Amino acid sequence: MKRHAAMVGWLFALPWVIGSLLFLAYPLLASIFYSFTNYSVLRSPRFIGLDNYRELVHDEVFLTTLKNTALYTISAVPLATVIAIALAMLLNTKVKGMTVYRTIFFLPSLVPMIALGVLWLWVFNSQNGLLNESLRWLGLPTPNWLDDPTVARWTLVIISMWGCGNAMIIYLAALQDVPTALYEAADLDGASSWLKTRHVTLPMISPVILFNAIMGFIGAMQTFALPYVMFPGGRPARSNYFFAMYLYDNAFLFQRMGYASAMGWIMFVVTLILTLMSLKVSSKFVHYEAS
Amino acid sequence: MKPASGKNRLGSIRKRPAWAGLAIHVALVVLSALFLAPLLWMTATSLKPEYEIMGAGARLLPSKIVWSNYPKAFSYGSQDLGYIPFLAYGKNTLVVTILAVIGSVISNSLAAYSFARLKWPGRDLFFAITLATMMVPYPVLMVPTYSLFKWLGWIGTFRPLWVPCYFGSAFSIFLLRQFFKRIPQELSEAAKIDGASEFRIYLDVVLPLAKPAMIVIALFTFMWAWNDFMGPLLYLTDQNTFTLSMGLQFFQSQHTGVSWNLLMAASLIVILPVLLVFFLAQRVFIEGIATTGIKG
Amino acid sequence: MTHSKTIGAAALAVLFASSVVISERTASRQTRSDRIVVTYWEKWTKDEMKAMKTIVDRYNASQSRVFVKMLSISGIAEKTLLAASGGNPPDVAGLWSDQVCQFGDANALVDLTPYAKRYGIKPSDYIPSYWKDLIHKGKLYALPTSPGSSALYVNQDLMPPEYNTPKKFPKTLSQLDRLVETVTVKKNGKIERLAFMPRSGFGGGSWPYLFGGALVRGDKITVNDRDNVRAWTWVTSFAKRFGMAETQQFQSTFGVTSSQDNPFIAKRLACIMEGPWFANFIRLYGHETKWFAVPMPYPDDRPDCAGYTVLNLNTLMIPRGAKHPDEAFDFIAFVQKQNNMELLCRLQYCNTPLSRVSEEFLANHPNPYIRVFDALARSPRAVGRERTGFLNQIQAEVSNAVDQMDLGQKTPQEALDDAQRRLEEGWQKYQKQVLGT
Repeated sequence: MKRHAAMVGWLFALPWVIGSLLFLAYPLLASIFYSFTNYSVLRSPRFIGLDNYRELVHDEVFLTTLKNTALYTISAVPLATVIAIALAMLLNTKVKGMTVYRTIFFLPSLVPMIALGVLWLWVFNSQNGLLNESLRWLGLPTPNWLDDPTVARWTLVIISMWGCGNAMIIYLAALQDVPTALYEAADLDGASSWLKTRHVTLPMISPVILFNAIMGFIGAMQTFALPYVMFPGGRPARSNYFFAMYLYDNAFLFQRMGYASAMGWIMFVVTLILTLMSLKVSSKFVHYEAS
Repeated sequence: MKPASGKNRLGSIRKRPAWAGLAIHVALVVLSALFLAPLLWMTATSLKPEYEIMGAGARLLPSKIVWSNYPKAFSYGSQDLGYIPFLAYGKNTLVVTILAVIGSVISNSLAAYSFARLKWPGRDLFFAITLATMMVPYPVLMVPTYSLFKWLGWIGTFRPLWVPCYFGSAFSIFLLRQFFKRIPQELSEAAKIDGASEFRIYLDVVLPLAKPAMIVIALFTFMWAWNDFMGPLLYLTDQNTFTLSMGLQFFQSQHTGVSWNLLMAASLIVILPVLLVFFLAQRVFIEGIATTGIKG
Repeated sequence: MTHSKTIGAAALAVLFASSVVISERTASRQTRSDRIVVTYWEKWTKDEMKAMKTIVDRYNASQSRVFVKMLSISGIAEKTLLAASGGNPPDVAGLWSDQVCQFGDANALVDLTPYAKRYGIKPSDYIPSYWKDLIHKGKLYALPTSPGSSALYVNQDLMPPEYNTPKKFPKTLSQLDRLVETVTVKKNGKIERLAFMPRSGFGGGSWPYLFGGALVRGDKITVNDRDNVRAWTWVTSFAKRFGMAETQQFQSTFGVTSSQDNPFIAKRLACIMEGPWFANFIRLYGHETKWFAVPMPYPDDRPDCAGYTVLNLNTLMIPRGAKHPDEAFDFIAFVQKQNNMELLCRLQYCNTPLSRVSEEFLANHPNPYIRVFDALARSPRAVGRERTGFLNQIQAEVSNAVDQMDLGQKTPQEALDDAQRRLEEGWQKYQKQVLGT
């Protein structure tokens, strides 16, 4: 009986098993191998052992990119999570035109990357960009978003909040699933909105919060496309140089694919450890079945 | 017992206080303005005459509305430059996207079902590996992945863009697993007692109950495949086969300027189908809730 | 319930099947059987693409053996790299002279020397500064398409009468300084207009060469050479003179190059160093601007540096592993013919890389000051790319150093010393790892 169950389990997972062996195993193994080599992509790789890893530890630029990536992740992920949940809850109310509102908040995540880059460069332009014009109108200070290294990194955090439409949709789907009975029971107990949120809503969608938090974390660590377009070279003064950009530059500009692979695997380990830690911690907060 | 839908959210026993309704409206309007502002700029730009796009003190609104930017963007470059009109790119993108969505929905739900509802040796380890594969940065995998597709003879075709979708993706598997796990185990057991096979349970019990999540996966796959740029860039080698995201590149150039207005118009055209899909998906969201019934 | 499910499944199957058929059909509609097809990947879009297409069409019409299929690719360097490594390169790749050393070091290009000999293409056919950029370690790896050089565009209306013609315009840096004093406009502590900002425009990273410096000399990295430090001190002196914060504020008002927000077109900068194509931008975004172009003034104590200009060069290369190298070169040679090259360059608003230039080209060129750009390209002081495959790293470090100088985080000496240190380490590794020495 157990063997039958095991077989069924494997059977269902078969497409994924085959897929990961076919499309992922070779690239993953190959890149691990590359990380122990000099590989300039156009010539064959040459084995050098742990040299890449040794060099990485002392690489100032790599450490700078780590710092930038960490700062961004620590600020963007919690902020985007809170905003996405709040928005989803807001959009889960019975208000006229809700379909339109939902579409409006989801729209930003649909804009093609090529338009996004130029769009945000305009929004953050310190002279006549949308943001500073609004701040000026409100009498607030107008920082030099794109050229001042102390504020430039925050532009990306702001952008990530604007683009939380994906996470918001997932939360919306989860909220739809929360049984009314629980709310009604809470109402009978005279609970306020805040208490209902804390004791009914959040626990019920906690598996999804976990999902979004982990995905957001992984995504933030690998931020690449937008800063690459908006802040070439990680300008100003490498304050927006993210580790994925440095990896890409090493792989395709500096002819050091081996070094880039080593970088990728170090970040893999870091991400893995942090994710496992958060999974452990989360088991206290995440509830899977309606109970 | 019907599960929560919007209408019962803030309590069915007590009526929602009037101020709460107003507060929600205000919040929605303010936030909408924030979220829409950049897009309004895109739209305004798309309707501007050529070369009036930016400039010191540029008006937000166009001096005159040039609707012809849209048909111009649509057929851009086909006359003199030999670019294939957008319609052809749209067809290519649509075909790839449809294939991707079908494959994604099927393979990911199967795998997620296995991780969420079935017990088998090595399951948790394999799930952890699944998660781990998402943590490797893509540029690192680009070269060997390209070699793999070259070895399969798929370079120059659409296959690298949709075939992998039939074999699952870690992101979708993870998401669906979280949703599948929330469905009470009793339902599966009840069906088993009735003599249903595991596949029947999957098809008739779990999938219907997880409809919102399935819609989300379909939607996300659609979005991702529709907007994918790296994939087509690397694997397509003929102008006939290009997708919309590649078509957008043609509005900018090294030394002959950027047609901002056409680029924005084209970008908005590209967004429309996904928007439509989202709109439709939303309705099924709500309907889906009405027809499923989770025992409370 | 099951009935609708079966219909649903059937519909899905039909959708799947038809999509597969359509995608396969589209992808296979690619080959011609009557001629040898040469795949040509080019970076250009829009009008630049149109210009090249004219030449390609001419070639295809001029003979019936070869058909050149041109593809407009963005991210062409990365894609060519990937395709070449995967054994699937195009026959002709339209890269830049930047890639000559890099790809050459990696042995990824076909040596064109025997082809050039066969077709009678000689070094004397080309302007020496451009030809230099095509050779690496004695091998010819590329031939040019459209080039560029840089000169100072001057807004005539913003010039005081003593400087407002090419003849009267400053020739040396000290004279330029005096111009800067007169043309600066500051209101309420905010800068409204400056005469000149070295960092803006094209070639804003090559200032060391104006002072006789260099980033690389032979086999050594010389980023923190005395002349380089002097150059960057000169560059940062502009910001210092007007106030760091004010200058940063001023620079942040500069918009995208190809728009009315371009600082020169928006009359924020009276002079800007740019390439010949910039005349097209002026025509598109600020056609009422009255302007002229002159060579960049030189340092007073370095008259040998007169005629400084920064060059760029679009090229055609044949990646190793290309299926039809002979036919590919036939096409490349066609482009090199004077009439074709001049047509291409004229349509792209560029000067020509050939040593012979027709009077008709110069007289009918859309840029009225093309002779200035042409003369500058021929000057011995024209600066091309650093002759090393380590180019990208050098540019990244120097760019970062310059940022730091701009922001006042470090002095030019400190920033360049830092960059030098890192680059020397990197250069050792590059030589060991990539060159195998």
